[in-house]
Amino acid sequence: MFKIINNIIRKKLSPDLKTQTDEFENLGLELKEHISMIFGRSLAIRELDSGSDNSVEIEINNLTTPHYDIGRFGVSFVASPRHADVILITGAVTLNMQNAVLKTYDAMPRPSWVIAVGDDACNGGLLSESYAVLGGADKILPVTFKIPGDPPTPLEIMRGLVAFMKNIRQQKA
Amino acid sequence: MDILTTGLITHLESKQCSSQFEQGVGGEYYLHVPYKEIGEAIGWLATRNDLALIDIWAILNPNKSSVNLFYAFELRYPSPILIITVKTETSQAPSIWGQFPVAIYFERRLNDLFGMEFTGSPDTRRLLLHEIYPADFHPMLESNPRSLTVPPSPGMTSEYAFKIFEGEGIYQVPVGPVHAGVIEPGHFRFSVMGETIFNLEARLGYKHRGLNKLAEGKSVDEGVKLAETVSGDESAANACCFSMAVEKITGAELPRRAWELRTILLEMERIYSHLGDLAGMLVDIAYPVGASPFFILREEMLRWNAAFTGSRFLKGAIKPGGVNRDIDHQALQDFKRYLDNFCRQIESALSTVNEAAGVIDRFDTTGIVLPMLIAPLSLSGPVARASGYDGDTRQLHPYSIYNELKYKVPVKTTGDVLARFKLKSEEIFSSVNLIRDLIANCSSGPVFLDFHPKSGQALAMIEAPRGRNLHWLKLKNGNIERWEVLTASFCNWLAIEHAVIGNIIPDFPVINKSFNLSYAGNDL
Repeated sequence: MFKIINNIIRKKLSPDLKTQTDEFENLGLELKEHISMIFGRSLAIRELDSGSDNSVEIEINNLTTPHYDIGRFGVSFVASPRHADVILITGAVTLNMQNAVLKTYDAMPRPSWVIAVGDDACNGGLLSESYAVLGGADKILPVTFKIPGDPPTPLEIMRGLVAFMKNIRQQKA
Repeated sequence: MDILTTGLITHLESKQCSSQFEQGVGGEYYLHVPYKEIGEAIGWLATRNDLALIDIWAILNPNKSSVNLFYAFELRYPSPILIITVKTETSQAPSIWGQFPVAIYFERRLNDLFGMEFTGSPDTRRLLLHEIYPADFHPMLESNPRSLTVPPSPGMTSEYAFKIFEGEGIYQVPVGPVHAGVIEPGHFRFSVMGETIFNLEARLGYKHRGLNKLAEGKSVDEGVKLAETVSGDESAANACCFSMAVEKITGAELPRRAWELRTILLEMERIYSHLGDLAGMLVDIAYPVGASPFFILREEMLRWNAAFTGSRFLKGAIKPGGVNRDIDHQALQDFKRYLDNFCRQIESALSTVNEAAGVIDRFDTTGIVLPMLIAPLSLSGPVARASGYDGDTRQLHPYSIYNELKYKVPVKTTGDVLARFKLKSEEIFSSVNLIRDLIANCSSGPVFLDFHPKSGQALAMIEAPRGRNLHWLKLKNGNIERWEVLTASFCNWLAIEHAVIGNIIPDFPVINKSFNLSYAGNDL
């Protein structure tokens, strides 16, 4: 904790972006604390698109851009499910992706968690009636947490991640 | 009638073929041709070198025993779209891939959706419906496709037959559908010699969501939501194009301010989309320092989107009749002032990039799209304009108030990643100037016109950030009977397969990003 505070106060080589909001910073510090308690030092996330409209991917990607830079709080997006603690799944799960989704989940080391991000992944959204989708990530994977939105903003995703961490911490306790 | 249509009718008459001309309410021309004379008509069109086939779609007739096919052709200069329609009662039609190569992909799509068989096509593999779907399942023919039962635990019953490339030293590199980055799913099958790519076959369709079928019977207000979800980062373009089709069918004349605001939003979408591409290209050559300023600016643009419309992706902003809400005069003035600062930032970011030898080295001569591919593959948007094509839907088929506005459509000739990078950065400035002019001369008044949509059909086209998007809509009693949508990504994907040949696999990500095509907008 001391290290974190010191890092915040100390003068930096590059100027801070003024656009960072207090809420996001506070959520980030809270997230980091949860991560330290549950996962040791870092949280590895594998993003899995099962048929979204691509705006959710853009928002998840935005978490790593300079305004948010979620890496500061111990979160990394990893290239393989074999390195991941958590899957962020987006999209209503198309039939064409069904197999790949199952394979991706099976490739994760256990314990593992699945978070559905976006309305489509949460409950099928607009697409629930389509022949081409299963209608939500929980139709095929054990979803532990849902972050709704069309698409959820980076701030909302961050709030969701913190709430998810609180949940699993309570379960552990 | 234009020269093309007159020429074709004269030709058909000289061959004692009958045809029936009809002018569409969207400004498009329909020429109804008897089934047996389709070859004659296509044959004549193929003799013209200034013509591209931009889409083939179909509609199931109410008695369900016949299908009407629509072949849409675009000239390279401002002229109405010519749509040849033909009725087939046998679920069969001759393939026209020999005259218009891109037809193979349109035909494969129709084969999936309508069970249409195109005789003489060299490639009849499924495109959008993968192995999990029963072979005889054609969603557009089903009255209740939701009743489709798929095996609960899918075992691969058959495997997709990729094109085979064999020879000494040639090996295959399969990539995807789940990729290493936070991007959309798609499979790429590289045939490689050493490090050099010998062939690439992109297999898409993983995100097929059945949007065309889902839209049937929906109201236009529900339809515009589906249009927005075609591709999340083209929400404004698709919502606007869909709305334009509804408005053309109804004959609704929107208030001027509605068009002004729509145009501002459409150009804002182009700016944030291109900023993401510029940043992405730099990330893919491992130059994050160069990419960061573009990411910062894009985030700021997304926040302006949210300030104006309540959505960072402009969702819900445009609907049939105008825009959802007015934008405050003061907010527009603030945005105009912000754009001055924006231009300074982006100029400085671009000069950093242009002075980095490492960047130029990776971009220059990488992933070239040859100009001779543009017409046969029906390429459009920045991909085509970076290879010397000066076509832009805003000028070829003017919509909104674009023909009153002055703006530059940049064109590059080298067709490589560098050309696309430069083109997109110039398009950003062009859009910024457009927005500034619009704000400076903004009118006041209502932004929405309430109307009941009529029955009928119309074609609408729009220049989305990625190129030409096409919506063809048929309404019955105000509800959607058939909605055809084709995004620029569908045809532009074909160009990637050509652009990567002779490059190395490590350059594929940057080539792919320089196109930045939508998987969702392709798979629908």
